[in-house]
Amino acid sequence: MSLLQVSRLTRHFGGLTAVNDLSFSIDEGEIVGLIGPNGAGKTTIFNLISGFIVPSSGDVTFNGKPLKDLKPHQVCQLGLTRTFQVVQPFPDMTALENVMMGAFVRHANPVQARDKARQVLERVNMSHKADTLGRDLTLMELKRLEVGKALATEPHLLLLDEVASGLNTVEIEEMLALVRQLNQEGITLLVVEHVMKVIMSLSHRIVVLDFGEKIAEGTPEEVAHNPAVLEAYLGEEETHA
Amino acid sequence: MNKYTIVFLAILLVVLFLLPLVAGEYLLHMAVLVLLYAYLATAWNILGGYAGQHSLGHGVFLGIGAYVSTFLFIQWRITPWLGMWVGGAVSALVGWFIGYVCFRYGLKGPYFALVTIALAEAFVYLTSNLAFIGGAKGLEVTWLGHRPDMMEFDGKSGYYYIILIMAILGVIITRWMYQRRPGYQWIAVRENEDAAEALGVDTLRAKIEATALSALMTAIGGTFYAQYFTYIGPRSVFGEGPSIQILLFAIIGGLGTVWGPAVGALVLVPIAELARAKLGGSFGGAHLLLYGAVMVLVMLFMPKGIIGVAQNALSRLMRRQPDSAQSAKEAA
Repeated sequence: MSLLQVSRLTRHFGGLTAVNDLSFSIDEGEIVGLIGPNGAGKTTIFNLISGFIVPSSGDVTFNGKPLKDLKPHQVCQLGLTRTFQVVQPFPDMTALENVMMGAFVRHANPVQARDKARQVLERVNMSHKADTLGRDLTLMELKRLEVGKALATEPHLLLLDEVASGLNTVEIEEMLALVRQLNQEGITLLVVEHVMKVIMSLSHRIVVLDFGEKIAEGTPEEVAHNPAVLEAYLGEEETHA
Repeated sequence: MNKYTIVFLAILLVVLFLLPLVAGEYLLHMAVLVLLYAYLATAWNILGGYAGQHSLGHGVFLGIGAYVSTFLFIQWRITPWLGMWVGGAVSALVGWFIGYVCFRYGLKGPYFALVTIALAEAFVYLTSNLAFIGGAKGLEVTWLGHRPDMMEFDGKSGYYYIILIMAILGVIITRWMYQRRPGYQWIAVRENEDAAEALGVDTLRAKIEATALSALMTAIGGTFYAQYFTYIGPRSVFGEGPSIQILLFAIIGGLGTVWGPAVGALVLVPIAELARAKLGGSFGGAHLLLYGAVMVLVMLFMPKGIIGVAQNALSRLMRRQPDSAQSAKEAA
């Protein structure tokens, strides 16, 4: 059985259909990439899966449990959490406290949560910034913190929304190494990324979206040679409405 | 806490407990006012400062506490020592309900503030029209003589000790919550609600709990208010006066800090009282003008309150003495 099952998911915003009849699944241990041109509905899908917005129709099942009607915090408690495309730190908390907020999901005791948060900071290479306020961190550090916060909730499935955007080549390599390592430790990942090089080298499987619909799915190799994908990206005659 | 903080707090405690032995009636009255507002602002700060939901209608909870215990006292001679818990429970329930209704439907920032103003105003009119609690005339607490068991004392020192202990407990509770999961969750909600949700924080519950706790503590202060001033009327407790004053002390002192509300009350209450005493008779309204000017200056030059300024100064000192860097944070 797959870890995440998205079936016939649809979401309208007024007259706009942001996600249309989308189905895909993710198996335990996979890294699945989600790509598509701007406005294809990637972030909407993240919001739908993580419970921030309610689907117009269709279902999401995680570990056999339907996520319908669950709030984001309940989804998180089940072991599914996400990062945000625009980093969302708690600016008046230190990096350590930011990560503690994630750790509190599994550890009510602040001493244990603090220990857990220290381990996680170590994992994302942020130990030296533990006492720095969220507002004083650089973008790279905030991106790491974003992953750290999510990681501290001890997820089975982690949704990463553009963790490489805005980073330079060296920083991207570091981030890639971290994500691969997390996967090797047993975390399943769904990754949205604009940087094509990143997604191609990272993903085991890729789902391609255009105008809220799935236009292709397969290994990076297959997707890269799929005519529909090329058309969507290179903008040949537009056929979708 | 480092040893300097502990020594300082110990000295402060001794001074506070010995104050009635040396202070005259007027000074003691001022001290009671400072402590009462320190306590109320501390209670407000849990919801307004930590959880970041600015209630402009905390008079609702103050009034409920005052009215419930006073009614029980007048009607059945139930001691306010018990009445304050009944009032606290009623207030917590009302707080829970208000919190649920507002936050369930996503009211935030100014919208939540407006609803709380409207609710407080509604309570003014509601109580004004309920004859069994005195209507617009309000209620007078019956004087039974020096009866500590009924929270009635000759002189001011009895009241002083009660409100002193309440204020100390208020600070202790705040600090205790601040270092535990609920406190962290309140701050997370204030700082970034979406991020908090994504990290498994039930933000709705966190906000409701903060409202209920804040309401409970405020109501207990309301019972003390009634016993001390011996008269309560719809506008004197539910009205905008107490609602606004409470939050001013918290904001001026330092929002979302353990000591801010107490420091704010300590600075502002004497200014307000002295200005009234010196200027109130000769030049009507001048004391309010002065009070307003102080407020504007603090807002302009200390946007993070008095505690914020003190913290900055401390951390600049600490950089010169790196061995005690921890204490700046502890002081918060």
